[in-house]
Amino acid sequence: MRLIVNGAPYDVAVPGHETLLVTLRERLQLTGTKLVCGRGECGACTVLLDGRSAYSCLTLTAACSNQAITTIEGIGREDSPHPLQAAFIEHDALQCGFCTPGQILAGVALLEQNPNPTEDDVRRGMSGNLCRCGAYPKILRAVLAVANHAETTDA
Amino acid sequence: MPKRFVTTKVEIEGREETKVVEVPSRNPTPWGKDADLHVVGKRVPRMDAIDKVTGRAQYTADIQRPGMLHTAILRAPVARGRVTELDLSYALALDGVRGGVTIDNVPDVKIDGVRLLDHNIQYANQPIAALCADTLEIAQRALNAIVLEMDVDRPVVSAEQASSPDAPRVKPTGNAHRASPRKSSRGDVDAGLREADVVITREYRTPVALHTALEPHGAVAEWIGGRLTIWESTQGIFMTRREVAKAFGLPQSSVGVVMHYMGGGFGAKNGAPHSTYIAAALAKQTNRPVRCILDREGEQTDAGNRMATTQRVTLGAKRDGTLTAIDVDVTSALGIGGWLASPAKIYHEMYECPNVRSSETFLFTNTAAMASFRAPGHVEGAFGLERAMDVLARELDMDPLALRTHNYAKQDQDKQREFSNKRLDECYRQGAERFGWSAARARKASTGRLRRGVGMASLTWGAGGGPPAYASVRINRDGTIEVLTGAQDLGTGARTVMAQIAAEVLGAKVADVRTILGETERLPFASNSWGSITTASVGPAVRIAAEEARDSLFEAAAGMMNVDPTDLEARDSEVHAKSTDRCMLFRDVCEKLGDVMISGHGSRGPNPDKTAIAAFGAQFAEVEVDVETGIVRVLRIVSAHDSGRVINPTLAESQLEGGIIQGLGYALFEERVLDAHSGIPLNPTMHDYKIPTMGDIPRIDAFFVDAVDTVANHTGAKGLAEPPIIGTAPAIANAVADALGADIPEIPLTPWRVIANRLLGTGNGE
Repeated sequence: MRLIVNGAPYDVAVPGHETLLVTLRERLQLTGTKLVCGRGECGACTVLLDGRSAYSCLTLTAACSNQAITTIEGIGREDSPHPLQAAFIEHDALQCGFCTPGQILAGVALLEQNPNPTEDDVRRGMSGNLCRCGAYPKILRAVLAVANHAETTDA
Repeated sequence: MPKRFVTTKVEIEGREETKVVEVPSRNPTPWGKDADLHVVGKRVPRMDAIDKVTGRAQYTADIQRPGMLHTAILRAPVARGRVTELDLSYALALDGVRGGVTIDNVPDVKIDGVRLLDHNIQYANQPIAALCADTLEIAQRALNAIVLEMDVDRPVVSAEQASSPDAPRVKPTGNAHRASPRKSSRGDVDAGLREADVVITREYRTPVALHTALEPHGAVAEWIGGRLTIWESTQGIFMTRREVAKAFGLPQSSVGVVMHYMGGGFGAKNGAPHSTYIAAALAKQTNRPVRCILDREGEQTDAGNRMATTQRVTLGAKRDGTLTAIDVDVTSALGIGGWLASPAKIYHEMYECPNVRSSETFLFTNTAAMASFRAPGHVEGAFGLERAMDVLARELDMDPLALRTHNYAKQDQDKQREFSNKRLDECYRQGAERFGWSAARARKASTGRLRRGVGMASLTWGAGGGPPAYASVRINRDGTIEVLTGAQDLGTGARTVMAQIAAEVLGAKVADVRTILGETERLPFASNSWGSITTASVGPAVRIAAEEARDSLFEAAAGMMNVDPTDLEARDSEVHAKSTDRCMLFRDVCEKLGDVMISGHGSRGPNPDKTAIAAFGAQFAEVEVDVETGIVRVLRIVSAHDSGRVINPTLAESQLEGGIIQGLGYALFEERVLDAHSGIPLNPTMHDYKIPTMGDIPRIDAFFVDAVDTVANHTGAKGLAEPPIIGTAPAIANAVADALGADIPEIPLTPWRVIANRLLGTGNGE
């Protein structure tokens, strides 16, 4: 089957029960997407499917053939980070960094659906992404900073 | 000639150790309070953040090696018993399965007192065998083809069971650790209690909490030509190297350990765990690289935990609040092993009191071993002490804050040592002011469904760091600078902090400096990143290394500029001659030198004699309790800290917030649950073991008071990662007690505990 990951096509032959997380990490070596719980409880494996956030550990690869898959590697690069990636650095919205790819993708999806979220919107929208280091206050600030920034540039 | 090697005291995780130390090549003047610093103390962005936000940071599970195999571990389905038959042959015959290990083909090592892959089952989920295969899925499925027969015995699950007279013996020597009871005292507690106007006695209980680092324990092992390379998620690369070399009978020079990025440790990743030995043994057997990463259930059930405690506390005080006696009896359940973290220690340290007595009993049970978990001992002990102090304040009709400031400890009373510096007074003052403590206390208690309360707690932690730690600094031909040290960055920001110290000394742009750490093979020794010691241990070594390099650079530049080296200073990677106004970029100096390498080497010197070095803090919480649902919501936390000089306020505040949030989880949600009969863990998932989410986070105002410590070490910094978790749970629980007018004696304060207290009056009663 053909997968479109970060805009590039990949032809893969995967068993019907293989999860997108395994395909991304072990076949395509896109290891930015993390395995933490494997049961849809923590959000570390979050990717975007056609722009909407999804737990790749609960998504079957076989079901993704006609969808645009975006992983952290496709969000921005070292020389041209996504505004939310830049905001995470500016606000120190990470410590160990293991949950960070999932947090950023959840944040990107949230801002896509709701470009001007309130603080409560962000708290609700991001509460499925766990962070054990406790970077939450700064993650909240980073997401809101990008939201407000978008608002001012639109105006 | 002065001695080159001396001994000094270093406190790590509440244990004071005597260490041999090499006296450094120089002894810089401490950076004082008013030192003119340009990079240290600044909010430099986390230097490895770009790797983390782009997904490029490679963690252990991200390491891919050609031909690498994947491992699944067979774990004991019972908590106590004996393997009578174990046959891997059917599993090994399956397609794609490449190797397997049992006790017969792994090194003879003990982990927490249990032999690796032992047939004697001593706790549920104890590893029994492991298979490696082409894919993880094949390995996991093949576990089903292992033949396992066991004799099953009744396990000892709880501390209560362990101490009952007819309990089975967990260890051949009995159920109490041989050091039990560990007693410590000063003064005469009985006399102190007789002297007291008020005496209170309470019993508090703390739960088993799980580290729940998002990245589980794990390793990738590869043998090439008799040399073993281990990529491991570890807080101590040199400790892993030492243990693995010993286990496999290798010289340390034949083992390399690498840890560039790790997804959290919190104390549980010190020393090689099962997964490391299993990966190395399977890699040797199959002659291929092998990855062994714990699955989530393995991580939650067999990778360390915070021990449960029961603390019986008696406090005596004069009518004016002066403490006359502190007496505590602690029982801690270690599980099958671990170490004797001391909940009693903070009872001896926190307040001025001439008469203190403690007794600690450590019990073995048929449950997974405890491990260090962020401020081990102090977190547990602070809960009992700080709850009891609040009860005493109520008995005395005194402001809890006033009771604490009234009993301010002016020195380390057990050892009669002065503190290097102590600004807890400022923490109390500024914390109370920012919180609005007096106004909040004065508010009338509500009697409706939603009840608000406020509480506070004090904290201390021996965070002085110490030797040994080494660092090198080298300046490349293009003027860029590398700091090399075998420390680890767990997400703490060590990479950034060390670069800042080097940039400060050299007068370099911080962007020109890169810190390289996490490799045993190429880097000078630094100890485990534990006990909040890294900044105060490695930082001074980096400062000396950078001074040596700067002196060489200045000498070379002075020759080129025809001035005396003492005439030079540097800023933003440029050397200036003060007398002539001439300047040269570092890169121009180095380019002229060609391949002459400017470098410096530094080490951490001894700690000051007869001096206690500690971090301090005061934490304040406001909560809202819904008495109908039992739900406790934390509204805000104010947390004031003395951690000496803060090298990077942004990263330091991140650590404070993180510690507070973990403390909030400990107070409200987190508790490992075992089946009381079988000892089987019932909540080994992230859904059932609740850690805080973004929705649970209150407003947090966490800050540092001005407290540069020029006695502790010449950077003025002390540790700060562990302190913020210590006072959080008691501050929250004290606030809940204030809201309810009832003292619930145990955590987590889950809805059912709050409701049970209200309906049944369970607890210490008021």
